[in-house]
Amino acid sequence: MLESKEVTNHWEWEINGRTRYWGLNLHELWHYRHLSLSLVRRDFLLNYQQTVLGPFWLLVQPILTLGTYVLVFNKLIGVSTGSLPPVLFYLSGIVLWNFFNDTFMGTSFIFRENAQLFSKVYFPRLIIPISQMGTQIFRFGIQFTLLLAMLAFYALFKNYTLPTSFLAVTLPLVIILVGLTGLSLGLIFSVVTAKYRDIINLVTFGVRLLMFLTPVLYPVNYVPENVRWVVQFNPLTSYFELFRRALLGQGVISPESLGYSLVFTLILLVISIGIFNKQGDKLIDVV
Amino acid sequence: MGDVVIQVEELSKVYRLGTIGSGSLRQDLARWWNTSVLKKDDPFYYPQLSENQEPMDKNQKAFWALQDLSFEIKQGEVWGVIGNNGAGKSTLLKIISRIVKPTKGVVRGKGKISSLLEVGTGFNQELTGRENIFMSGYILGMTKQEITAKFDEIVDFSGIEKFLDTPVKRYSSGMYVRLAFAVAAHLEPDILILDEVLSVGDAEFQKKCLGKVKDVSRSEGRTILFVSHSMQAVSNLCNHALWLQKGRLMEAGKATTVINNYIKGVKKSQLHRTWDNLVEAPGNEFVRFKSIRLTPRFSEPDAPLDIRTPLTLEFEFWNLVEDQDLSIGLHLFSYGGECIFDVPSPSFQCKKGLVEGECTIPGNFLNDGSYYISLIVVKNTSVDLFYYEECLSFEIEDYRGDIKWFGKWMGAVRPSFPFRLEQKELELV
Repeated sequence: MLESKEVTNHWEWEINGRTRYWGLNLHELWHYRHLSLSLVRRDFLLNYQQTVLGPFWLLVQPILTLGTYVLVFNKLIGVSTGSLPPVLFYLSGIVLWNFFNDTFMGTSFIFRENAQLFSKVYFPRLIIPISQMGTQIFRFGIQFTLLLAMLAFYALFKNYTLPTSFLAVTLPLVIILVGLTGLSLGLIFSVVTAKYRDIINLVTFGVRLLMFLTPVLYPVNYVPENVRWVVQFNPLTSYFELFRRALLGQGVISPESLGYSLVFTLILLVISIGIFNKQGDKLIDVV
Repeated sequence: MGDVVIQVEELSKVYRLGTIGSGSLRQDLARWWNTSVLKKDDPFYYPQLSENQEPMDKNQKAFWALQDLSFEIKQGEVWGVIGNNGAGKSTLLKIISRIVKPTKGVVRGKGKISSLLEVGTGFNQELTGRENIFMSGYILGMTKQEITAKFDEIVDFSGIEKFLDTPVKRYSSGMYVRLAFAVAAHLEPDILILDEVLSVGDAEFQKKCLGKVKDVSRSEGRTILFVSHSMQAVSNLCNHALWLQKGRLMEAGKATTVINNYIKGVKKSQLHRTWDNLVEAPGNEFVRFKSIRLTPRFSEPDAPLDIRTPLTLEFEFWNLVEDQDLSIGLHLFSYGGECIFDVPSPSFQCKKGLVEGECTIPGNFLNDGSYYISLIVVKNTSVDLFYYEECLSFEIEDYRGDIKWFGKWMGAVRPSFPFRLEQKELELV
């Protein structure tokens, strides 16, 4: 009697009305890893199938942007790029900013864009932002290659001396952290845009403004001392500076500002995954 | 068998008509300012239902999709979920599939669940058949090894091997559905949840799918939960049924009993139908029905419609094509979905215009119970032009005369054949 009761009470899962912040199930995410990979593959195929240039389009955007920046900010306005060639300076900023921007924008509308799918089948919702980030890492890889090629070109033909810095080993870490910052912000906004449609405008507008508070177009030490804190309040600032320092040998970094950025990103990541988990199940009734 | 694999306890789901908040941040902020900061009455004030529930609209715009549902499902059972539109069937399946959260109550269970609420979930128009098999498989929770192992079987079942590397946007809708179902049919969950998926595709494929689902449940001991509007499919496939009405559980138990009660409670006899104009009339470019009427030929004016009553089916239809050789087939189904008979009319050369016809089902022929009639219009006794399914429904009361036994009378029909019984010889015992 007792035994049979024990058997029937041994449930493997339970569905109830509670939503939790800490519902992150890594085991489950691992089970769906192939889904992630094939979503990345799908994104790639869909973007470049039936196009003439295929993935080379990824290079057109940064090259055109680079041309504009060099022309407007360097030649017309005369913003200093320190001792660096303007092309290398701007391109490094553009490539890293694109990565942040695309990760953020790609994640921000997840619930809106996938409402149909989410209402028909269960899988861990976090799979979609993770695959999204995978796609962006891939795109970043291609643009980063362009940057390296440009660097090699300058070193070979323009007498530019490549800095050799042990900081180069931090590059992968910086890239991951920038991606995670974009992802976390995107996760939070994906929940908000699902609930409030009017926030969509704010997101597209806000991210453009944020770019001007990030040292994409100017080096931090070009900013006057008395307003520099505004730029340094932005956690992305030290990532961009470290990225340039490691790659091009110029950039203002300090352990404090790096520590601040790191803590900021990690806290944001934890909070955003929490919010995403907590709200994800409820949102499907709203979208 | 025997082990409970799904236990549903006091499950409720409330949908607010309208959305959470107002959908605009400005209004939500105004509300928060009024209630939390100024401590004024909220213009959208909702009384709380209980401590763990979301606030409700005081205008009673809350909609209980499910209310206090409790039942248990044992391993290997096949359950049909029946009920009208809006009864909460899909909501129930969505909660068990973990797509939406219940408002109250719990579902506990054992084993891996796969649900198929739509044909072609995760399919992408641009991808090829092969890529979509993987994509859809992953989304439904299969692993790479599972799909690879079953790949040939899936392709075989769908019958599209020639088009495997063609984007599915170039598929016909039939091929698309076949491929999509083929993937889903090869899922190997412990519990399979199906929502009306068999209502798409051609009849032959439906049969194949139904057969596959049957196989899966019989030979492999899967537990299946199946929503359908077709009583035929439910009674065919399921040994248990769950009847929902307006979010409440009306009855759960043996499929035949529940289906019968559902029919009694919900389905009304419909003995005649007429249409005034061609636009509304059911049909197509070849024929459209004008009226269909089933007239009981009562022996006396206020007799009940029972097994003794002959029934005459009269119908009129517009023939829209000049000089067609048409015949009509009368299909009579029991409410369980079994076809009792299929009677064709002789064929007739029809001119453009209105055509009428009739057919009489004799008294003392059908058993008591609920029936429905479908009419089929056939051209040249071979080409189906229009099949009007379930156009009429009726019920036949029991009549037993002097018989003192009151159990359920067996059989699909109850014809009165000449029977002879007489004393042959007297013998002393």
